[in-house]
Amino acid sequence: MNVFAGTASVDVEKLALHRGLDMTRFSNLLMKEKTVALPYEDPITFGVNAAKPLIDALSAEEKDRIEVVISCTESAFDFGKSMSTYFHSLLDLNRNCRLFELKNACYSGIAGLQTAINFILSGVSPGAKVLLIATDISRFMVEEGGEGLTEDWSFFEPSSGAGAVAALISEIPHIFQVDVGASGYYGYEVMDTCRPAPDKEAGDADLSLLSYLDCCEKAFLEYQKRVEGADLSATFGYLAMHTPFGGMVKGAHRNIMRKIAKARPKEIEADFDRRVQPSLNYCQRVGNIMGASTLMAIASAIDHGDFATSQRIGCFSYGSGCCSEFFSGVAGQEGQSRLRAQNIKEHLDRRYELTMEEYDELLVTNNEIKFGTRNVVLNAEFIGQARTTHGKPTLFLREIKEFHRQYDWVS
Amino acid sequence: MSKEEIFALITQYAGEVIPGLEQHEFQWTDSLRALGANSIDRSEIVMMTLEAMKLDIPLAETIRAENIGDLAALLYSKRVALQA
Repeated sequence: MNVFAGTASVDVEKLALHRGLDMTRFSNLLMKEKTVALPYEDPITFGVNAAKPLIDALSAEEKDRIEVVISCTESAFDFGKSMSTYFHSLLDLNRNCRLFELKNACYSGIAGLQTAINFILSGVSPGAKVLLIATDISRFMVEEGGEGLTEDWSFFEPSSGAGAVAALISEIPHIFQVDVGASGYYGYEVMDTCRPAPDKEAGDADLSLLSYLDCCEKAFLEYQKRVEGADLSATFGYLAMHTPFGGMVKGAHRNIMRKIAKARPKEIEADFDRRVQPSLNYCQRVGNIMGASTLMAIASAIDHGDFATSQRIGCFSYGSGCCSEFFSGVAGQEGQSRLRAQNIKEHLDRRYELTMEEYDELLVTNNEIKFGTRNVVLNAEFIGQARTTHGKPTLFLREIKEFHRQYDWVS
Repeated sequence: MSKEEIFALITQYAGEVIPGLEQHEFQWTDSLRALGANSIDRSEIVMMTLEAMKLDIPLAETIRAENIGDLAALLYSKRVALQA
């Protein structure tokens, strides 16, 4: 499992000040930084850059056993062609492989994970692996001379990030072993947030929050029904939840702890710091990465928790629209060492921090790569420092030629 | 439980959750949003009220209330419907 959170970031407090937001309320978001996708970064570059170290670590025989590539996203740039086809080509995988893409807002990553696990458990192709890539970006755009930066955006803008999580799912779990059948799912139709038109996000933040809270409770109750003896306080060493922003997770944790575990406010606060905070660290530095968010929360929990003895992690995913799932898995010392070897923290530290001037310029430049762009050559000079910030080969979008995307490795 | 009692619960919790409202004289037409409550504050207030009322309904069903009076009326009608 690996996280790639781009090459550039902004400090969200500076951004909030720059936009003149009410700072007393802003701290409730519990956000620190967010990744910003540059014009020559897209969901493919994020996904490939996340997956590359995993693929490079495989032997030729192991690599040939990747028989499914699932892309989980709400940021695709084509209604028909799946991003898995690009991943498959850029990572040079075996052609005897299923390629498809999966969508259900921020639930996509977990829908993909469960699909992958079910394929492995079915035993129809013993030894096979699934490459799961959850990848999402948000691109804000401003028409030159327009009044694009309105109040409506103000809390959405600081929390919307970009990033990808790649994972290999196989019979031998090295990092995180999902508890088979331990899942409570809960979904219903609700119009909370959506992407109803290319490059447009719409929604009702209040309704989305309430729906998330409802689902978190209902999904856990269903989990409890299916897993004998499951106890919210005692069963899980850590909790990792979909993180649109830290404050939402805090609210949901408080709600279920109060309603289900009957905990008092002081206990809830201490429990949050102990069991939830480790999962938030990366999300607080990357922003909401939608389909990849729950997977990044799991990675963050494993990297920051204490796994001297194996711990069960309770995981919750919510995708607007909506569908949600509470499930669990176990991580131990070996998993933590393997994940830490990916140096995710160092990767986040290495992102180039944009100035507010550069960031605002980017919002205008983003118009070059609107949904449906047929031909464009990206300007590699634009914030050129970001292209080499990781000190290792990084994939970038070079051009779109008759809708076909062409990429370059830059080092 | 009457609508007035539900109104009193909502305003009690609003006073606890939103800073600076301890002394506020709440009106039925007051909007929590206008009083400075953000989405998380509002959900907190609703959750605390539901808990005190021992009323178990989806939080998303409370979204239509435009002000505290609306919210009290809505919770009252949900309670009546559940008791019927």
